[in-house]
Amino acid sequence: MEAGGGSGEGPSLSALLSKLPSSATVRYRGPGVHPWGEPEPPLEKSRKESWSQRQTAPVASPVEPPESQALRELPWPIEAKQLLWRLQAQRPTKPEPGIRGSKGALLLGRAWARLVGVPKMLVPWRTILTKIGSQYGAGTESYFGLLRFLLGLNILGVLFQGILTLLPLLLLGSIPGPPSPGVTKPCGSYDPVPQGLVDYATHLTNLLSGEGHLEWSPLFYGFYPVQLTGSTFQLPIAYLLSTFLSGFLCLLLILRRSVSGLKQTLLIESGVLTSYSHRVFSAWDFGLQGSGPVELRKRAIRYELQVELEEASMRKLAEARTRAQWAGLWVTRILLNLLVLALLAAAFYGVYWATDPDKNLQEDPVVQATPLLKLLIAYLPSIFISTANLILPPVFSLITSLEGYTRSRQVQLILLRTVVLRLASLVVLLVSLWNQITCEGKPEAEACAACGYDYNILPCWETRVGQEMYKLLLFDLLTCLAVPLLIQFPRKLLGSMCGGRLGRLVETMEFQVPDEVLGLVYGQTLVWVGGFYCPLLALLNTVKLLLTFYLKRFTLFAFCSPASRTFRASTANFFFPLVLLLGLAISAVPVLYGIFVIPPSKLCGPFQGQPDIWAAIPNAIQGLSQGAQDFLFFLGTLSFAVPLMLVSSVLMVYTLTLATSYGRLVSKLKGHLKMESESKVLLAQRIVELSGEERDL
Amino acid sequence: MGSSTSHLSKELLTEYQELTFLTKQEILLAHKRFSDLLPQESRNMEDSLRVRVSTEQILTLPELKANPFRERICRVFSTAPERDSLSFEDFLDLFSVFSDAATPEIKSHYAFRIFDFDDDGTLNKEDLKQLVNCLTGEGQDTQLSTTEMKQLIENILEESDIDRDGTINLSEFQHVISRSPDFTSSFKIVL
Repeated sequence: MEAGGGSGEGPSLSALLSKLPSSATVRYRGPGVHPWGEPEPPLEKSRKESWSQRQTAPVASPVEPPESQALRELPWPIEAKQLLWRLQAQRPTKPEPGIRGSKGALLLGRAWARLVGVPKMLVPWRTILTKIGSQYGAGTESYFGLLRFLLGLNILGVLFQGILTLLPLLLLGSIPGPPSPGVTKPCGSYDPVPQGLVDYATHLTNLLSGEGHLEWSPLFYGFYPVQLTGSTFQLPIAYLLSTFLSGFLCLLLILRRSVSGLKQTLLIESGVLTSYSHRVFSAWDFGLQGSGPVELRKRAIRYELQVELEEASMRKLAEARTRAQWAGLWVTRILLNLLVLALLAAAFYGVYWATDPDKNLQEDPVVQATPLLKLLIAYLPSIFISTANLILPPVFSLITSLEGYTRSRQVQLILLRTVVLRLASLVVLLVSLWNQITCEGKPEAEACAACGYDYNILPCWETRVGQEMYKLLLFDLLTCLAVPLLIQFPRKLLGSMCGGRLGRLVETMEFQVPDEVLGLVYGQTLVWVGGFYCPLLALLNTVKLLLTFYLKRFTLFAFCSPASRTFRASTANFFFPLVLLLGLAISAVPVLYGIFVIPPSKLCGPFQGQPDIWAAIPNAIQGLSQGAQDFLFFLGTLSFAVPLMLVSSVLMVYTLTLATSYGRLVSKLKGHLKMESESKVLLAQRIVELSGEERDL
Repeated sequence: MGSSTSHLSKELLTEYQELTFLTKQEILLAHKRFSDLLPQESRNMEDSLRVRVSTEQILTLPELKANPFRERICRVFSTAPERDSLSFEDFLDLFSVFSDAATPEIKSHYAFRIFDFDDDGTLNKEDLKQLVNCLTGEGQDTQLSTTEMKQLIENILEESDIDRDGTINLSEFQHVISRSPDFTSSFKIVL
């Protein structure tokens, strides 16, 4: 493109700049021109002619790329690459010294590449996910990707539990019978299996609340015996090991998933500084198909750009706020935060009350008579938690919009508050259970003095905890099934019946990615907490996740319209594994507390008769050889932990310093680049001026 | 019309595998889709590698039909003198660059070429304006207003134009893109 020159016939600035080497790589794809920057042939020659000419002339030998670069990474058309490839094939290859050049290594490399490709083929639902991504955007696709990842985690958990605890029990030992009824021991009596005939309604309520026949089944902790009759398999050790191993493996897999997202997020030095360029250059998702999603995406992009520009002007206005306005704004923010805290506290108190710490509702004779009411009371905590999780997040979004933050800050705050709500309500439930089990943490209280736990109400407390988690999971599944049926389907029907704008407003539903992901994380945290006390919970969760996948896919295509606001895939890939990690950390606390502090039940479970659950491990270690014992005990002492901590801190400090120095280097280099470019432009301008003056002379 | 005519030879397949980012299945699928666009008489092996398909035909593919950059994509990947038709190798090139396995560098290189509407090697204000119009829609009511457009383009140049010459060249573009985490996942077309 030759724009008009400054003074007459001299070269213009842009023409001069376009001849420089820095723009050479972009010019090549013209007809018949070589990628390595040779000038274009005259256009009247046909393409084939010019190619054959070049091939015979020895002058036009391709400028070779560095050895290490694979041919496919060159931005050349295939024909040019083929030319180079054939040239390289003709030349005798220098035998590379060492192992790398040997033929064996080459074959090994090829076999490894083929092997690595196999797991990619085994991953299910790839076509469904790409179809969802092309119609509903990358955010929705990442939700389904996370669902698939959690399914894998649960299957792994099931494998561990199955192989280490259930299979040995079923194959090696005999099925343990329930403790004989009516026998009183020092710590009360435990009669899980109901005697006599049980009517159908009670059967159903037992199934849904994990009592009755279900209580004495491999589903719960209490079923597993201390020793397998007729075998030396150590069931208690295997039970503990399966929990620890699956938890550790989950941690590794989640870390691996979040690190890849972190690497990309860290590349953004300061996202604010390049937001416009990012929004324009990487805005378009080339995988979108069909005119409907494309139009919607165009609208979404326009909306985003307008919002961003508006926010920038608002920010300028905000900086001009007077002191009085700032004071007013902060007062509003504090009041609204207090309101949010009050709502959270009310929700937590409701959950605490629903767990019925004083057993007032359960002992009521009316309730005891009707099984339906009994079931309702048993499910009261789950009902409270689910209601709070349904009602409060929209209230939070309303409150946050009044606080005068920018849009992106608002989204972060809403997410933060919803995460706190979801995970903390679970914590409140666990705290209330703990109160019941340990008589509010007072081991010397009357009910807990004899056995260390309240044996009157809870002869087998681990099974009770498992039952609570089981009920929560079932109710979560129920909510998942009920919401499309009771909320989404009527909305769609209503919207299609009343026409016009109101109808369309009612009818359009979007897939709320953050809420759905938090639902997944909540379910997984339940499984991690309850997995120790209810070993088959992972299996139930696998079934639940499969059902959820197909259900959500159906409701997505049947009811939801594509998102009006684009949800960035990068935030999804980094933020969601992080929340999952948080769930894992929170779930580790009750499990570890139960293992190390609370005494196990004396009447049920594989750890009967021991001071605490962990005591099984040191007892087992005693059985090993002296050398192994010494080594394992050494691992637990301070003389191993302290040097380990020191070494890790030193490594961390080193990595941090390295990262900071690289960051400084990058900014310095950017400054150099700027200066060099400015000099280049100055020189080019000077050339133009001088050549213009020359022509004038 | 034996079955042998519709299969690519093994050497050619290996060569394409070496020179592009596509796997064997993807190359075969691309060949099948390309042959479907050819007229009936040219669907055998030798002709399918030689004959060119016009841009209008390529744009009937569902993957490209609704894409706002479809004409630019065809123009960038075409090696014909008038840049209006694609051969099979150009077709392969297209899907290789847009595949999952392509490096971010090559993707950003071709993205630059696609966004360079006037083919002069840099993104100047006109290119950026056309780019934003492609993104937001063609109609009068879907475009940004002139003030918004001016402000947006100034902001973009402020952020990305390191040497302050009023245009964005390839290295500046690649520098900005390298810090965008969504680019690689959005610059993808799967057959």
